[in-house]
Amino acid sequence: MNARRAAFVPNPLLAGMLGICPLVAADRSLPEGIALGLGAAICSLVLGAVAAPSRGIVPDRLRAPFSLALSAAVALLYSFGVRAYSPIVADGLGIFLPLLAVSALSLHTLRRSSAVNGSASTRERYSSIAKEAFAFLATAVLIGAAREALGMGTLTIPLPGEGELRLMELPSSPLRMLSSSAGGFILIGCLAAAYRLALRGAGRKIP
Amino acid sequence: MSYLGIIASSVFASNALLAYGLGSIPAFKNDHEAGADVASKVGRGSLASAAALACVNALAAVLLWCIRGLVLAPLGLSSLDILFFALIAVPLLKALSRAAASGEGAIARIGAEAEELVVGSLVFGVALIVAKGGYSLGEALAAGAASGLGYWMATSLLESIRERLELSDVPAAFKGAPSMLLSAGLMSMALMGIDSILVRNLGS
Repeated sequence: MNARRAAFVPNPLLAGMLGICPLVAADRSLPEGIALGLGAAICSLVLGAVAAPSRGIVPDRLRAPFSLALSAAVALLYSFGVRAYSPIVADGLGIFLPLLAVSALSLHTLRRSSAVNGSASTRERYSSIAKEAFAFLATAVLIGAAREALGMGTLTIPLPGEGELRLMELPSSPLRMLSSSAGGFILIGCLAAAYRLALRGAGRKIP
Repeated sequence: MSYLGIIASSVFASNALLAYGLGSIPAFKNDHEAGADVASKVGRGSLASAAALACVNALAAVLLWCIRGLVLAPLGLSSLDILFFALIAVPLLKALSRAAASGEGAIARIGAEAEELVVGSLVFGVALIVAKGGYSLGEALAAGAASGLGYWMATSLLESIRERLELSDVPAAFKGAPSMLLSAGLMSMALMGIDSILVRNLGS
């Protein structure tokens, strides 16, 4: 039981509000949720893998600019990849793809990886970063799917190029407001409250 | 577009926090919640915060406008703007903030607050929006400063809502960030009522 409690990693988005900026404004559909969630997860995993080993190579004074430049480079490469796969999704996300460089999830990973902490091994730390990245991806996909289904009445998966696969199409949009930023704030607020309720029900607290 | 239109649009119709969700963590994280740091206090209430937000965002917008328009666009490398912004503009803004923070009085307070802001989605996001908005240099300066002031206005309003909510009987699960997100959603909905085309054409 204690080991299970020690391994518990709270959802970085719903518990810590990390990385909600792009999700509020740009995560309006399932393809956008996948692109943003995957982007933030990849940036976080790459930074987590590189930041700790670079501690011995990059001088202390240059570590912050190096980390930021690395984060920007990863976000830029990822945005090129998304544009190559689906230009429509890349256009829809606009500035939020390059902004993954300063996603709070990535900055949080950098801070944790750079911190000297004797109690956690590199493997444990990376496993916790991977869990957070996966939780963020799953939440971003859930938010995108909910906003697309309720806000636009459709559910689509992007295909390479200009195409898309329609999984669902309703005759009208049940809750059009969810497609706007206002709807994003309200949906994430309700999900965060539901998450806290579920944690309390399970006897856990947000650390 | 007139300067009045740009300022009104950046403060209200295209508010950095309520329309784009930029700088959300400092706005929604409680001081007493785990992980809240000094940055979470930036942008709340004081005039030094307002000045820091306006200065940092205006400078960042102008720097990215120059990097993108004068260097990268002629070379056909506009898509690398975020990388060059991180490599050139961020260290410059940090150095300026530190220099201001080592001064005295109000300038030192503004510098200290500005240093906390530089690496964050608000400054990067506003700079990207302004640089891609087709503005002239003067317009980019005005749009950047107005975006910072718009963010300050939104966080100040949210802060006063937070104080009232802390004294209200809110369900336990909604206490803290969830109720702030709902409040921001309602404020964002109110701003959606402002016609952005009408605002942009103010004074023209």
